[in-house]
Amino acid sequence: MNLQAPPARYRVAERAEETHDTVTLRLEPIDQPISPHRPGQFTMLYAFGAGEVPISISGEPDGSGLLQTIRSVGAVTRALCQAGRGQVIGVRGPFGTGWGVADAAGQDVLVVAGGIGLAPLRAALLEALAARDRYRRVIVLIGARTPGELVFADQIGGWRGRGAEVHITVDRAVAGWTGHVGVVTQLIDRAGMDPAATLALICGPEVMMRLTARALGDRGIAADRIRISLERNMRCGTAECGHCQLGPLLLCRDGPVVSYERAAPLLSVKEL
Amino acid sequence: MQDAGPAGGPLLMGAPGLMTLVATLQNGGYQVIGPIARDGAIVLAELRSADDLPFGWGVSLEPGGYRIRRRGDDAAFGHSAGPQSWKQFLHPPREKVWSARRTADGFEIEHADDSSPRLAFFGVRPCDLSAIKIQDQVLGRGQHTGSRYAARRSDVFIVAVNCTEPGETCFCASMGTGPQAGPGYDLALTEMTDEGTHRFLIDVGSAAGADVLASVPTRPADDVTAEQARAAVAGAAGRMGRSMPADALRDLMAASHDAARWDDVASRCLTCGNCTMACPTCFCTTVEDVTDLSGDHAERWQSWDSCFDPEFSYLHGGQVRSSARSRYRQWLTHKLGTWHDQFGSSGCVGCGRCIVWCPVGIDLTEEVTALQAEAAQAGERAPGDERDKGYPA
Amino acid sequence: MTAPAGFAEHGFLRGMPAESVALLAGTAAAVSFPAGRPLFDEGAPARNCWLLTAGQVALFLRAPGTEDLIVETLGRDDVIGFSWLSPPHEWQFSAETIEATEAFELDGATVMALCDHHPDLGFQLTLRMLGAAVRRLQATRIRLLDLYGTPGPRAGTR
Repeated sequence: MNLQAPPARYRVAERAEETHDTVTLRLEPIDQPISPHRPGQFTMLYAFGAGEVPISISGEPDGSGLLQTIRSVGAVTRALCQAGRGQVIGVRGPFGTGWGVADAAGQDVLVVAGGIGLAPLRAALLEALAARDRYRRVIVLIGARTPGELVFADQIGGWRGRGAEVHITVDRAVAGWTGHVGVVTQLIDRAGMDPAATLALICGPEVMMRLTARALGDRGIAADRIRISLERNMRCGTAECGHCQLGPLLLCRDGPVVSYERAAPLLSVKEL
Repeated sequence: MQDAGPAGGPLLMGAPGLMTLVATLQNGGYQVIGPIARDGAIVLAELRSADDLPFGWGVSLEPGGYRIRRRGDDAAFGHSAGPQSWKQFLHPPREKVWSARRTADGFEIEHADDSSPRLAFFGVRPCDLSAIKIQDQVLGRGQHTGSRYAARRSDVFIVAVNCTEPGETCFCASMGTGPQAGPGYDLALTEMTDEGTHRFLIDVGSAAGADVLASVPTRPADDVTAEQARAAVAGAAGRMGRSMPADALRDLMAASHDAARWDDVASRCLTCGNCTMACPTCFCTTVEDVTDLSGDHAERWQSWDSCFDPEFSYLHGGQVRSSARSRYRQWLTHKLGTWHDQFGSSGCVGCGRCIVWCPVGIDLTEEVTALQAEAAQAGERAPGDERDKGYPA
Repeated sequence: MTAPAGFAEHGFLRGMPAESVALLAGTAAAVSFPAGRPLFDEGAPARNCWLLTAGQVALFLRAPGTEDLIVETLGRDDVIGFSWLSPPHEWQFSAETIEATEAFELDGATVMALCDHHPDLGFQLTLRMLGAAVRRLQATRIRLLDLYGTPGPRAGTR
């Protein structure tokens, strides 16, 4: 597959409004479906005439269709967020590296999500919960802007029921919120993972990922056991347009999931 | 050195044989592309016949300067580093990728005509042959084996021309890409215009090359002439206009992110992107999705893009690489450094086009020399994080 | 007063020399609060601080026409109460427990008197108070960046 292959057509089977600007679409194939994905991978979603954007897959490859959670930030994402049931969307992919949850077998899985970063991590969390016995503790730390902007809020109870310990904090509380108020790194000390036997997966704004990775490192988790999901301008998804470079990495091929050990020196260079 | 012609060694062809060679290719269904003199430059275009070649034309090259000039002989290939490279034929500057039309319940992809003419590249310099192989690695391997690039590339007939007269801005020898053509050609010519003669030593590089040559008047080359030709090419290696200090460039680029030299070059660089357009290995593209006025017909177009374009690194409402410093650094550290990590070789072939076609004459061999000097000085200073210290008042 | 159980293990005291810990322990009292219990009110004299060991406390401001505005929540291993350290010695926020909470309570005047006589203790305590305040400041700065918000119009400068 390459940049020039046209997208496979999918139809919107279901649409859920997660927050005021975020929508999850469940897509079912019209043409030949794309290959099963690994959590952490992304697709290029095409809105007819508007264009394409890279969107992480937020569900499991369990045959129930492709789940993509999209935040409306520009013309193409706006068009995708407005797509109603029955609308046809183009899909290319899956592209990139996965979270590699299975590497945490026998250990604690620590998922730290900031804002919309919970969407790509949900795929990894569901994979861990589907094989819950393989892991010791499954801990999820979520940072949201406000309680109303917490994505998948209605699913958190289900995750707890399947054996995940979920802690949530907001940057700013609103009336009636009785949970934590503070940055997500302030939840780390409540998490209780064993730093020597943890695989940490972090996704969110780059600043949040850097700070979280450093905080986890300060508590003894090795840099090669911390994985983050990086984002740069992506155009082709197939390592031939050159846009998504971060130093030696072509993020559509060598990412988006990258170990913090590899990413840290690159993230510290101004304008790399 | 490539293998043989029918007799197992190189062949000799008089200059008039060029007519037959080009005609044979055309009769074989190839569109023959070669150098012609036009618009004050040596450009690449379709040849009607070998007469279109720029006999007797040479070029004078310098940083930011290019002039064609009359030579003292009738050489057809006595020039280098024209404004174009062969990449425009294998990796077009602009092409439609696919189109789609709106239907009652969605949209349908319309499959485009994928056919393209069979091309013969006539006069590929060793540096440019290396560049083609580098682009093969980026655009034609692995997951790209089904691409249009791969399809065009699979059927290209390559007539390479070894260099006996390097241009003032050439440095292929120090990049290991010339002046002798490496493997990958169907035929390789060495032009000889000594003592009033005009002939070509020909090395055959493939069965297809041998087939084409069968229709062209040639004879096995005698040892003296063959030796003369080889010596002329070998001698060119010692007369390069420039040299790239090519040792350990990958490591130098990786260690130079904070070098002061980038500010120096940024004060000169216009971020015009000429270098990326002229460079035979630069491959970056962008895509544009457009519709017609009715909104019912959509097309995706792919076109060349440049890392110097401010929007190249667009992210979250701004650019990651906004300063000229960061964009020049990206271009050079990619070309000479991270290209190794991504594609397993250097991205530079020493053709010198970026030096010639830079409006302010930035010379990357000079920039690399300066970066090496800066790195060596930094190595001599005491270790420690100097950012924590102020300057003595 | 004998040292309350578990005092020396509190995260706030990590790395403090044993003599200083012992001095402080002599003035500390183990306390507990049910959920929904006010700890202090904005504007009231600030006399104590608490080293939390369990539960959750909200720091907030009251505002007319709306529910309380929570600025931060604190829990195990956090210290709550800085206003007793410097003038005007008045609480700047209100605090109330969200869950049943346990803590070690330290009386401000007693601790200050101890520090006057034991400068080492004063230094150790100041270091840790400063550390807690700096971490809280860093976290607050990050929240102010509104990292999870949509990128807005740019200022046009770099």
